[in-house]
Formats: sequence, structure tokens, C-alpha cells
Amino acid sequence: MPVWLREYSWRQTGSAVYLSLPLRGVRVTPANIFCTDQYLKVSIPPFLFEAILYAPIDDTNSTAKIGNGIIFFTLYKKEMAMWDSLTLANANKEKLQHLRENAVLKAHEKAKEETEAKKVTKQEHKKYALEATMKLEEAERKRIEDLKEKERQKVTKELELWKKEQKDAEKQKRIQKEGELYQQLEQLKEKKKEEINKTRIPNEGTSKTRLKPTKGHGSCSMFSENLKEEQLPAPRSAATIKINFTSRVFPTALRESRIAEEEEWLRKQAEARRTVSADLSELEDLKEEEKNPEWLKDKGKHRCKMFATGNYLAAVNAYNLAVRLNSKLPLLYLNRAACHLKLRNLHKAIEDSSKALELLTPPVPDNENARVKAYVRRGTAFCQLELYTEGLQDYEAALKIDPKNKTIEKDAEKIRHLIQGTMQDY
Amino acid sequence: MSSGGPERPQLVAHVQQALSYTLFDCKWVPRSARLLCLGSAARGTGLLQLYELQGGRLALLREIEKAKPIKCGTFGATSLQQRYLATGDFGGNLNIWNLEAPEIPVYSVKGHKEIINSIDGVGGLGIGEGAPEIVTGSRDGTVKVWDPRQKDTPVANMEPVQGESKRDCWTVAFGNAYNQEERVVCAGYDNGDIKLFDLKTMSLRWETNIKNGVCSVEFDRKDVNMNKLVATSLEGKFHVFDMRTQHPTKGFASVSEKAQKSTIWQVRHLPQNRDIFMTSGGAGSLHLWKYEYPAQRSKKDSEGAEMGVAGSVSLLQNVTLSTQPISSLDWSPDKKGLCVCGAFDQTVRVLIVTKLNKV
Repeated sequence: MPVWLREYSWRQTGSAVYLSLPLRGVRVTPANIFCTDQYLKVSIPPFLFEAILYAPIDDTNSTAKIGNGIIFFTLYKKEMAMWDSLTLANANKEKLQHLRENAVLKAHEKAKEETEAKKVTKQEHKKYALEATMKLEEAERKRIEDLKEKERQKVTKELELWKKEQKDAEKQKRIQKEGELYQQLEQLKEKKKEEINKTRIPNEGTSKTRLKPTKGHGSCSMFSENLKEEQLPAPRSAATIKINFTSRVFPTALRESRIAEEEEWLRKQAEARRTVSADLSELEDLKEEEKNPEWLKDKGKHRCKMFATGNYLAAVNAYNLAVRLNSKLPLLYLNRAACHLKLRNLHKAIEDSSKALELLTPPVPDNENARVKAYVRRGTAFCQLELYTEGLQDYEAALKIDPKNKTIEKDAEKIRHLIQGTMQDY
Repeated sequence: MSSGGPERPQLVAHVQQALSYTLFDCKWVPRSARLLCLGSAARGTGLLQLYELQGGRLALLREIEKAKPIKCGTFGATSLQQRYLATGDFGGNLNIWNLEAPEIPVYSVKGHKEIINSIDGVGGLGIGEGAPEIVTGSRDGTVKVWDPRQKDTPVANMEPVQGESKRDCWTVAFGNAYNQEERVVCAGYDNGDIKLFDLKTMSLRWETNIKNGVCSVEFDRKDVNMNKLVATSLEGKFHVFDMRTQHPTKGFASVSEKAQKSTIWQVRHLPQNRDIFMTSGGAGSLHLWKYEYPAQRSKKDSEGAEMGVAGSVSLLQNVTLSTQPISSLDWSPDKKGLCVCGAFDQTVRVLIVTKLNKV
């Protein structure tokens, strides 16, 4: 429950009302005073003073002076009239409430307007500041440009001067030389007969139309120039120096190499050599050395012999064992595919070539040959199964890797004709 | 574009000329304010244009058309009176032209089976001593040295061993020509090999590999005891080798710098100051560098053999002129700081580098 302040005193003139409100023992700040055009409130908890004014006042110009324990209000009336009393007499609770709310609303609006006005002025200030900085920067830039321009002109002048000097020096020398030439032409005719016939750039007979000053020498006649030529050493005796270029594991320059892919391929190879599938009981029978895939490669040569002699089944068996030991060597699958082709196990051949191709990624120049072989074998298998389109696809892939191979080209052509032939039947 | 305080050299673009053909090389004509542009016209013929710097522009003096596109040229092997231009073209032909009478070459040889990528000359222009010689490096993997007085056969031929797969030679440079007999040729290849051939002993003196293809090599001066060699490569790296001390196994000491993300197409040393060089890049930028020597240029290693010590390189200035690579660069031997560069956007630009005296 607030403590209502009722002790106040007031007096008025035609245009203003002077109200003094004593407040003992409390500190007053401007925030405690709330005033609109017909409502005045001072609220310092727990004290409260409220007045619904008799007539509207000009609240923007009215002032409140906070003194020592007293507030002194100077309220300017909107209309020049004498008030009967400070506050409205018959004010019931509802009216009071209404008025209060109005007052608050009005105050809010006022506050809003003020902020708006502030914003606008702020914008204007900013704009002004921006323009000012731009002007400054512009001036700076111009200054630098002018400096550069001055430098340029200075240098141009120097250049022109230098050129002029050159031309003058030339003219002088030319006049001088022509005089000397005249005299020495006689001498030269005699000397010419004595000179050795050199296969040099023929210059001696022609008169010099553009004699340029030589470096450091004074007069330079044709005569002395001939002497100078004789002092030059003879051409070197021809020789050849043979050179080698820096080699690389992959013979491409840094800018051409696809290092990432090449490393991957190397890694896979290394891995392949190391894997040994260990869960085969038959392995126990085999000797230790037989497990080594390197040894298997040697065996491969034996298999080639088996292949060559036509013993394809044996070759296939050998490869099967090898694959069980080491499922990652693409070479094994490749060769087994060839065996299957010969045995006309076409589906197996396709399987094996596909497996080989899988293992031969990433595609690098190193495994080009292997890839070509794989494509060709798979293509052949497809063709023998009469799946010509797939076969053609593989042949074209092979051709892409190795475009110079004539046999592949011929075979691809044949297949194309076959396909066209079958299509025409429809 | 150019940055830095008032004391740093500035790269000022002086003149710019748009051309109607692809420019491969541009060279100053010695002792003049004239420059030469070499390239390939749209119809597949070679083009030689002679310009003169007049006021603030380039005036075309002469235009010469040849059968094959021209890749590179040099004045290095002619005398100052004659000023003949030696060019290498797309067909592997080496020709020497008298610009006064360019219809017939003064010397011509089909030196290589494929395009001549790079050419250099030594012994002319009053620089250095010894016979005038021209070296050409070609895509067929060989490097050949020619003497204009000897027709048809090169005086030295650096070719791969029989059966070796060839690598393109991208750049060649002469060096160490400080007396009549001594001379070396340095060649850079597309697989990163750099080889140094000694012409006096006709042997391979040193080789190394910098992993990325070598776009350009140059000695800081051709006519002194070899001092420094700069080799630039793909992927924005360049190496500066100190050539004064050769270790028996480690070769020459070097310092390397990664300047830009793109290829560094050319390196050229300032003729008037051999410690300043400019590199041109694939992003159309030019960088000006200065090399600082270390306190001691050589030291002894654990076995007592002499080993070189590389110094350090600092960037003086850089500027971006174009969006296309700047493929050729040449300093004027007569005016300090004047240089011309040609880019693949078919523009030739003349630049002036200021404040080089204060560096």
C-alpha cells in the first residue's frame, strides 16, 4: 500500500502553475517523475503522489526542479485560464483508471517518436561521415597518381634526352668515318689481294650505310675490323656430349604424374604379395616355400609350359591352388582366364577376367598391358557366347588403352559387322 | 599497383602497344631505342616487327614476314656494327638475319627436328671474348651450339643417349665466357633437369633436378667467371645457385623462393647490376628481386671439401600488368631501368624501373 503524499502547495498565474511537493528523507531522480498533458505522478516507493490536472498542460516544456527534499514543478498551461483547483474534483475510480492508462499510452507514443527522430539524425550523421572519408581517400589516391605521373614524365624526358644524345653521337661518328673510309679505301684494295679467303659472312665489300659506334674504341675503320676478325679463334671442333635424363619409377614428370593413383597401385601389389589365406588344411601339407607367392610366380612359368603343351586342365589346377593361396594377384586370374578360354569354359573365363580387372584398378600405365589382355580375353569369351555387344564393349575398352594394336582393331571390326549382320535380320 | 615507400624502385608502365599476332619474344636492338617483336601471325607465318620508341609511343618501322612462326631470338653473337639477329623458329630452323636486308638469311640451318624453344648467343656485342657462338635448345631434347662461320654442322651437340626417352629442352643459356677458351652452356628441361655443359672440356660438368619443369635459366653475367645462375620453374618457384664453388658431390649451393602460384616464365638480370633480376609470371605479374651475398661465400664441409653458401633473395617490387602470362622480358643494355615485356594478351609493354641507383 503506497503512502499517499498529500502535503503539497501550489499557486498559479495565467499561464503557469507552480507546484511544490515536499519529500523528506527520500532521494528523487527524474525517473520517478511521470507526467503527461493531464496527469502527473511522482512515485518513490513507498511514497506516491498523483494528480489529475484540472486542465491540460504543455508537458514538453514543463519542468521539474529537484531540490533538497522538495520537488518544484513549473507546469505551463495549454490554455490561459485560471484553475479552480489543481486537480479535478469529481474523479471516480474508473475515470481515474482510464486517465492513467491514457497517460501511459501517450507517454509510450512520445517515447517512440523520440527514438524515431534519433534514428533519422543518426543516419544522416553516418552518411555525412561516409562522404567525408570518401573524399579524403579520393584525395589520397589522386596524390599518388600525380606522383606516378610525375615520375613517368621525368623518365620520359630523360629517355628522349638520351636518344638525342645517341643520334648526335651517331651523326658525328658517321661523318668522321666517311672521311677515313675515303682515305683507306685505297689501302684496302691492295690489302685485299693478300688476305686469306675466308668463308665468312660477306661484309667487306659493302659500304656501311649505318656505322654505329663501337664500344670504347675510337675510330673503327673496315681495316681494323678485318684485323679483329683474324684474332677470333677458329670455330670449335665438333663434338657431342651424351646425356641421360633423371629417371623415375614412373617415367613421367612431376606435372604429369598421377602420384596418388600410382602409389595406390604399388601398395596393392605389395599387399597382394603378402596375403596368404591361412585357413586351408591342405596348406599344412605344402612346404613352407610353396606358400610363398613369389615361388608361385615361378610355378607360373611351369604353367605356361603346361599351357603351351596343351595341358590346360593341369594349368587350371595349378592356378586354382595358387589362387587359394593368394587371392589378390591379378596375374593369376588373368592367366586362368586364358586357360578357361582354351577349355571353352566361357563363363568361368568371363568371371576370371572380371576379377582380374577388378584387381587391376587404379588404372596406371604400369598395368596397361595386363588390362588390355583382360579386356581382350573377356571380349573373346562374350563373343563365343554370342553376346556380341558386350564383347564389342570390351574390345573397344582394350582399344582405348592401346589404340595402336592392329589385331584388336581387326577383331573389333569383325564383331561390329557381326552385330550389324544380326540386326539386319530383324 | 606498385606499392612501397618512396625509396623502393617503382615499375612504371611507359608505353603499351596492342599487336595483332601472338608475341613470343621481344628484344632491344643494341645501341638504339628500337625494339624487335617476334611472333606468329594468325595464318601460321612468322612475323618480325621493328619498333622505335618515339615520345610516348611505339612507332612501327618495319614488318617482315617469314614462312614459319618465330619462337625466340638473340643479338648475343653478332658484332655491334652488324647487329644481326639470330632466330629459332617452330620448324627447328636457326636463321641469322641482317635486318637491313631480311629477304635472305645470312646463315641458315635446319638445326633441330622440332621447335627451337630457346636461343642464346655469346661472343658478340663487344661483350666477352672468344668466338661468337649460338646455342639452341629444342623440343627434340637436344642442345646444339653453332658457330656462324661453320655451315650446317653444330660445333657441339648435347643429345640423349641412344634409347633414352627424350625430354623437351625448354631453355638454354651461355655463361663463364671470361676468356677465349672457357665457356659453359646451361640447359633446363621439362622434367626439372638442369645440366651444365663445359664446352672447353666437352663434358657434362654438373646436373641436378629441381622437380618441376625448368622454364628459364640465366647466368647473371655471361662474360665473367660464373657467379650466379637463376633457374625458374613451374609452380612459382625459382632457384638461385651460387656458381663460384662446386662441391664434388653436392654440386652448387642454392636458395629457392616461391614467388607466385603460377609458372615463372622468364628471368632476366639487369645488365648494369648483376644482383638485381626480374621474374615474369604466369599471372601477368613482374617481380623485381635483389640477391644479397652471404658473409662468407664458401665454407668447408666435414671432409674438408669446399662448399658454397647461398645468400638470400629479397623482393624489391612487384606489379601486375596483365591477366595473361608475360612470356618474354628484356632489359635495355643501354638505358638502365628500361625494359620491354611481351605477354600472351598480344600486347608489348615498355616499362621503366625507377630508383635502381638507390638499391
